[in-house]
Amino acid sequence: MSSKYDLETIELPAVWRSLKPIFFAAGLILLAGGAFLSLFARGADGSTDAAFRFFMHSYLANFMFVMTIALGALFFILIQFVSRAGWSTSIRRIAELIMTTIPFLALMFLPIIAILFANYNAPYEWNVPAEVHSSVIKAKIDVGYLTKEWFSIRATVYFALWIFMAFYFFGHSRKQDETGDVEHSLARQKWAGPCIMLFSLSVSFAAFDWVMSIDADWFSTIFGVYVFAAGMMAFFATTILISMALQNAGKLRAFVSVEHFHDMGKFMFGFIMFWSYIAFSQLLLYWYGNIPEETYWYQVRLNDGWQYLAYGLIPLHFAIPFLGTLSRHVRRNRFGLTFWACWALAVHWLDMTFLVMPNAGAPSFMPIFGHLLGGIGMLMVFLSFFLVRASNVPLVPMKDPRLPEALTYANPLL
Amino acid sequence: MASISSSYNPREIDNTGDIPGRRAPLITGNQTYTSVTEMVCRVAEDPQPRLWWILFGFSSLTATTFLMLIVFLIYKGVGIWGNMSPVFWAWPIVNFVFWVGIGHAGTLISAILFLFRQNWRTSINRAAEAMTIFAVICAGIYPGIHVGRAWLAFWLLPYPSLNLWMWPQFRSPLLWDVFAVGTYASTSLVFWYMGMIPDLATYRDRSKSPLRRFIYGLLCLGWTGSSRHWLVYEKAYTLLAALAAPLVLSVHTVVSFDFAVSQLPGWHTTIFPPYFVAGAIFSGFAMVVTLLVPMRAIYKLENLITLRHLDNMNKIILATGSLVGLAYGTEFFMAWYSQNQYESFTFINRAFGPYWWAYWIMVTCNVISPQLFWFKWVRTNVVAMWVVSIFVNIGMWFERFVITVTSLSRDFLPSSWGYYNPTMYDGLMFFGSFGVFLTLFLLFCRYLPTIAISEVKGVMSASDHAEHQQAEVLAELQGKEPKHVGHAH
Amino acid sequence: MNNSEHKLKSNKEPRPPKACGWMAEFENEHDLLHAAEKVRDAGYTKTDAFTPFPVHGIDHALGIKPTILPFIVLCAGLTGLCTALLMQWWMNGVDYKYIISGKPFGITPASIPVSFELTILFSAFTSVLGMLALNGLPKFSNPVFTSAKFDRATNDRFFLYVDATDKYYNRESVRELLSSVDANSLDEVMEDSTPSEMPRAILLGALLLVLAGLIPSAIVLNMRSSFSDLPRWHVFFDMDFQPKKKPQQTTTIFKDGRSMRPQVPGTISRGQLEQQDPFYLGYDPMKVTSLDTDKQIYVSAVDSTAASPSLDATVQPPAASPAGGAPNLPFLDKLPIEANEENIKLGKTKYEIYCSACHGYAGFGDGLVAKRAASLAQDTWAPPSSLHLDRVQKQPVGQIFHTISKGQGKMASYASSITPQERWSIVLYVKALQRSRNANIDDVPVEQRGSLTEPTPSQTK
Repeated sequence: MSSKYDLETIELPAVWRSLKPIFFAAGLILLAGGAFLSLFARGADGSTDAAFRFFMHSYLANFMFVMTIALGALFFILIQFVSRAGWSTSIRRIAELIMTTIPFLALMFLPIIAILFANYNAPYEWNVPAEVHSSVIKAKIDVGYLTKEWFSIRATVYFALWIFMAFYFFGHSRKQDETGDVEHSLARQKWAGPCIMLFSLSVSFAAFDWVMSIDADWFSTIFGVYVFAAGMMAFFATTILISMALQNAGKLRAFVSVEHFHDMGKFMFGFIMFWSYIAFSQLLLYWYGNIPEETYWYQVRLNDGWQYLAYGLIPLHFAIPFLGTLSRHVRRNRFGLTFWACWALAVHWLDMTFLVMPNAGAPSFMPIFGHLLGGIGMLMVFLSFFLVRASNVPLVPMKDPRLPEALTYANPLL
Repeated sequence: MASISSSYNPREIDNTGDIPGRRAPLITGNQTYTSVTEMVCRVAEDPQPRLWWILFGFSSLTATTFLMLIVFLIYKGVGIWGNMSPVFWAWPIVNFVFWVGIGHAGTLISAILFLFRQNWRTSINRAAEAMTIFAVICAGIYPGIHVGRAWLAFWLLPYPSLNLWMWPQFRSPLLWDVFAVGTYASTSLVFWYMGMIPDLATYRDRSKSPLRRFIYGLLCLGWTGSSRHWLVYEKAYTLLAALAAPLVLSVHTVVSFDFAVSQLPGWHTTIFPPYFVAGAIFSGFAMVVTLLVPMRAIYKLENLITLRHLDNMNKIILATGSLVGLAYGTEFFMAWYSQNQYESFTFINRAFGPYWWAYWIMVTCNVISPQLFWFKWVRTNVVAMWVVSIFVNIGMWFERFVITVTSLSRDFLPSSWGYYNPTMYDGLMFFGSFGVFLTLFLLFCRYLPTIAISEVKGVMSASDHAEHQQAEVLAELQGKEPKHVGHAH
Repeated sequence: MNNSEHKLKSNKEPRPPKACGWMAEFENEHDLLHAAEKVRDAGYTKTDAFTPFPVHGIDHALGIKPTILPFIVLCAGLTGLCTALLMQWWMNGVDYKYIISGKPFGITPASIPVSFELTILFSAFTSVLGMLALNGLPKFSNPVFTSAKFDRATNDRFFLYVDATDKYYNRESVRELLSSVDANSLDEVMEDSTPSEMPRAILLGALLLVLAGLIPSAIVLNMRSSFSDLPRWHVFFDMDFQPKKKPQQTTTIFKDGRSMRPQVPGTISRGQLEQQDPFYLGYDPMKVTSLDTDKQIYVSAVDSTAASPSLDATVQPPAASPAGGAPNLPFLDKLPIEANEENIKLGKTKYEIYCSACHGYAGFGDGLVAKRAASLAQDTWAPPSSLHLDRVQKQPVGQIFHTISKGQGKMASYASSITPQERWSIVLYVKALQRSRNANIDDVPVEQRGSLTEPTPSQTK
């Protein structure tokens, strides 16, 4: 074919297909290795109960690490249709494939539900009412909000919503691959608005349920936005890395240009700032108000060794990547952008660790190393899901009517 | 553009339908560079319509009343207002936050929509920026006269006051306000002014009278349209946009800190910063619609400020209105989830306490009325959208009233609870600030370029260029003979 | 032409205008771009284009280099950030420290908003002023203003200009080159013959304005540095002369002419009722005979000060009582609380928290503080009394309560830390302690006597 838009370049590289089981197996082995290393965790009194507690927190943190990326992808797809964006069409399929891993991630959430029904109070301390000492948490259990049944029903609703939305959008996208009918674009444009409303609501509440309630005394109305902001940054980093890797494997070169990387780099930069804004707003208000039931969340994170992580996030999650991605020359440079995307993904993992792990107790070397292994394992499992989704699907929606726009636009400024 | 021209109707053309793959035209009626210049310059060059004089007479009278009331207030003291214990912050703060919020749309349109490459901003950004500055002026008056001894308001700046070498207290959110609103006002002003420089040069070059030419010549600083200048200018404009985007977020964030750093239930909640920003954008866009709908009709600018522009703004109103609704809901949920009796009481008191009427006006106007924008005919019907935008303006004023007054009137000490009643002066001064706002806006229409002429032309040129390129790529994708080969980078 | 300055120019005869370069006019931006590329390829660098809007690709077509403005703005932003941080640190952390809800001085999260705003403020103004400076604006005298034709550069025409100062400039060859492109017209740009300097009148006017602007501040400075015998102006009359009376003033409103009103008979001040209740005092104030003035003075002196009376000569009890300097007050000899298990437990807890540090857990005056002070051989240390001394044992319960409330010798008052109820509980516990030291076998219930063992030496003290 004489055209530079070669259809062979929009298929997954053959080698990548064969990586699926390897990634999945390696990921599970790393997760198991992490679980083993968390056996070294000891409570303040030297008890071994802390090991299980540590592992469950670690699993939740690593699960949130990849879950937020998939949610970021879902939001990205929705907002593209709300704003009728054209620039993103050639990278949209990658985001669609990330978002359609949500059903697999729902399976990865099952262990957490199972632990609840096995009546363990880790990571959710409210799960065993008999061992709850705080009157506030007791009240929350009594009004029926923090109970395992309701928690599971809510989680099912969230997943059902997300899976429905993801497959509605993905389904239309796939059908358009065959017919090229604009109706598929119009249908998605029509439903993207209401879907965004449902998405904001469900992500906020999922963040309250899954992450905030591990500290069931504590509350912060901005928490959902915080998790959302973190996930969006990680999503752009992931998409940049996947597109870069595909191009290095000889794919997508005519479809994804430096302009797309530049734009994704801008979004990543923007969400680094937005995360900092949200994190700072929460910190400032609680620091200033100085009410014990609000500040103790920070107290836990500023003691026992976690303070290095907490203070470290300021340069690592804000100052350094902010200055690093400030220049358009960096965002238009393949190596520069890859480096900062890796950085963003790493600090996103640190951020999720910061949200969840301090509740598991003081850190020590071996369990934390195990947590890191678990994080890498979870990411590999996540990538294997992505590869499963991507195996038989073209990586660019070739018949999307907005594709020419994506292939011709340029960033004049910034 | 051509396909529309057959059904050309100078009053309204629906260019909101956007077929994927084929962008609807941003401006209607077969415009050329010449006709765009003509259409915009006409506003300031032709004699003003009678309606302008009626509105100006009315608004300048109101503004004068307002200024006289300020003098009276300074003479008599803030006791003429209804502020009382425990509602020490009443209408003046409500009005301040109301106006600052409205002042968010302009810079949002110029900066954030610019960064998102939303070309439709070019027809509306100038008027919105002007509105922003006038709204911020109205906002700035209230804290200035609320300090009691208004002639000492300069002590808010880092000035060693009272010969004690006593500096301002930098941990106070009210001082942050001084810096945030000050920075916002001055940055918006230079942003607005810088954007106008090329258009002022157009005004200068079209001027027939030497005096006009002299004044516009002075204002445009000798702009020639040199490409070397344009390049630096565009860079500076982009930088300003990149700076103004976080700035616009920070201003209402800081305003929300005025409330949220306290420990008062209903004020002390972490969602306040993004929630206030969403509310500010919401009210600002509503005010832009309120102003632009009559403006485009009076000056016959329907081809430049098209239904598509209004439709887009209405969508943003819908989105931010729903975000505000989400924030109300989150607050209520968290008050219940926290199982904190003070939080729960505050929110139940808001909805069912003595100020229930204000609360439900707020919910009706802010959350329910913008939901009408789900229907396309409401979004594209100028009368309907104008009515909704008025409702949103009312609702957003009541939101600030609800936050300020209901929380303060029921503080921790039941013995000091009270019911706030405004006085005649509160009402007249709020009304009067609209006079100031409208007077300045009418003068702006009269003397300054109401639409960013050069930017509209730039977008016309760019969309022509893009259409060409896309047609080429489409041919190539469909397997027709490609015009050129080679890699994109 | 007729630029603004034209009508204000002086009568000086202008010299004949000089040619500055060639200007070609184009219908649209595409023709302009093609022509610009041609001119660039011919090697000209002193070129420019005049367009109604920024034409994309013109930088490349004319070979214009990118601007350094972003870098300048970055520096300005960092300057703003540092200025804000230094200002807040110095003003609130060093020069004038405010204590605000116990927050630290210096740089805190509360310093971030102002720092952010100043960063933006400095950057924003630098980008505008930097743009003007890099473009050499404002510049009101420009050769392109000399022809009315060029006015369309801000409307709908596109102009390409080659300047005469170019290295390769040759009037004829440039004209030929520009004639070869598809231009609407070609004109030679003439120098602006009007004087380019500012007219004197404007300068003079500006100077006068500046001087006039200085007058108010000059007046203020003069007033601040000089003295005046004149009474001050009362701008806000009702603030300076308020219709109110202060305590020691006279008035015609009341018969007695005093602005300060005497208390209504029967008024009691806050907390005064407690001063009449034995529960709060440890003695019955009604039984203090009013004739006994010495005692009265003493009671009021002791009750109004928490300081140790024994150190202060003026409040020495007039007649030292045999019970170690305590006043001879009508102390309660019966507990006003019930002697039940709950109270004795409360008393034990509070005793161990507040009293045991000095008096010891068993009341022998051998608490850790006492032991440590004794081991340091402090000269000024007055050892705490053993609660099992004979005189302490003989004290009525009210007196022990009174000692806890008011202090004794070196012992400070504990009234602010321990509630009256808790104080009585402590008294109960002390009484129990004392009783336990004087118990005999008859106090033990008969059925439990068998379980007692012979005392070991350590238990007999």
